[in-house]
Amino acid sequence: MNKLYLWGIIITVLMLLFTYISVAGSEGGLNDDIVNMLAITGAVALVLITVFVVIKYVRQMQVDSATGDLADENWDGIGEYKNEVPTGWAITFLLTMIWGMWYWTVGYPVNSYSQIGEYNEDTAAHNAKFEAQYKDITGDRLVEMGESVFLAECKVCHGINADGIDGKAANLNIRIDASSVKHVIENGSNNQLLGFAMPMPDRNGLMNANAGYAPITDAEIEKVSAYVANGMTGEGADVYAGTCAMCHGADGTGVDSMGPNIKKFDTALVTNVLNFGKKGSIGAMPKFERLNAKQKEAVGAYITSLSE
Amino acid sequence: MFHWLEKHPFFFAVGVFLVISFAGLVEILPNFAQQSRPVIGTAPYSTLELAGRHVYIANSCNACHSQLIRPFKSETDRYGHYSLSGEYAYDRPFLWGSKRTGPDLMRVGNYRTTDWHENHMKDPAGVVPGSIMPAYRWMFTNAADIDTAFAEQLTIAEFFSVPYNKPIPMKDGSTKIVKMGGSVAEANALALAEAKLIAADMKDQDVKDAVANGEIPEIVAIIAYLNSLK
Repeated sequence: MNKLYLWGIIITVLMLLFTYISVAGSEGGLNDDIVNMLAITGAVALVLITVFVVIKYVRQMQVDSATGDLADENWDGIGEYKNEVPTGWAITFLLTMIWGMWYWTVGYPVNSYSQIGEYNEDTAAHNAKFEAQYKDITGDRLVEMGESVFLAECKVCHGINADGIDGKAANLNIRIDASSVKHVIENGSNNQLLGFAMPMPDRNGLMNANAGYAPITDAEIEKVSAYVANGMTGEGADVYAGTCAMCHGADGTGVDSMGPNIKKFDTALVTNVLNFGKKGSIGAMPKFERLNAKQKEAVGAYITSLSE
Repeated sequence: MFHWLEKHPFFFAVGVFLVISFAGLVEILPNFAQQSRPVIGTAPYSTLELAGRHVYIANSCNACHSQLIRPFKSETDRYGHYSLSGEYAYDRPFLWGSKRTGPDLMRVGNYRTTDWHENHMKDPAGVVPGSIMPAYRWMFTNAADIDTAFAEQLTIAEFFSVPYNKPIPMKDGSTKIVKMGGSVAEANALALAEAKLIAADMKDQDVKDAVANGEIPEIVAIIAYLNSLK
């Protein structure tokens, strides 16, 4: 037997033995785990293929003699035969080129990974899940969702108790305070609380019908501010009826397309503030476009529940 | 030709280098140039905003606050649309930051207002319970450096063709012109006019008085800058 084959067999046996010892001897050893078995199979295949290929080429070097026409050039005494390209090689070369064309024109561009694509898919999947899970929630669950959104988005200005942190933002535990009513009466308002622009005039445009349509006076402003801030009770009912009731309704709950509810919060009011922002006596509130419709509704429900 | 190249490895290497460089430039440069163009709606900073940006850098705000929103749902929920390269076209240097001890500020102008910033800079924990951000009270008394901001405007307008005094397309189809003064006095006047609008929304009487007297405290400049981040 050729010495080469003998060495091949010895090395194969040694390597398989070593593989077996290192696996079977280690903790866990050879068990039915599919990944372990695949790894062992791979190792065995590697050993066999390596030995086979090495023997084949070493043998070829030992016995093969080249034939064919030499090329004219030689490089430092090393020549080159002008043989035909082997058929298998030529076919592989051709197939590689065809695959390359497909890969660069279709394979890569169409199937390549995109971070933005993954983000879009993520977002769409999340939105669909949110929609399906919370489509029909009402009542307490809606208020709970509103509270969690409030704690994430609103508390930085309105505080965790929604009390406005000592006047740094609006106190949402009451619909409106007297100083805000006064500010709005004196300066007017252009907040889109109805979902569209319906500006309220400043004090020069507010007449008291019960006092012969005279412009509203300082004393009347004081009285009606206290009246509105107290939830439509106390003095100032006549000023309210004569000046404010036309747009805000006799009971202060608002008139469609005319004036918003100033007696208590409602979902439509809060949603419009979230959609368009607001500017009041304390400062400006930005709009919150990042909340979806259900979240806005939930915040409305939560804020409404605070003052009930 | 090829035999000659094969016999002269040095010139062969030079040839390979030239071919690969050229191919690289042709592939990379046009795309890079396209990506770094300002997106519609990105406008250069006004004099006051630029002064505020200098205050931001001087106080190392970027050590704790990033200005880069990554395309993850959790980030875009919190901070708004993910950042685009072109949005940094007028940021020199960019202030991406590498650490978020505080929140990202890339679009803080969309969801915080002048009065909130005023309260927050004076006493962060008073607005955000448990906040570890220090107070920046000196910003209420230190004067903003409008002259340096104007010098930077002149420089970037000259060398980088930043479009001051030129119409810039906005997202809603309108155009906006960011003014740059023709002289130091004019630049200071422009900055003061802008500062008055900010101060009108503030409560600190000292700051209001300072602006009424023609001075611009740093707090006004940095609020103008933060409001411009959208």
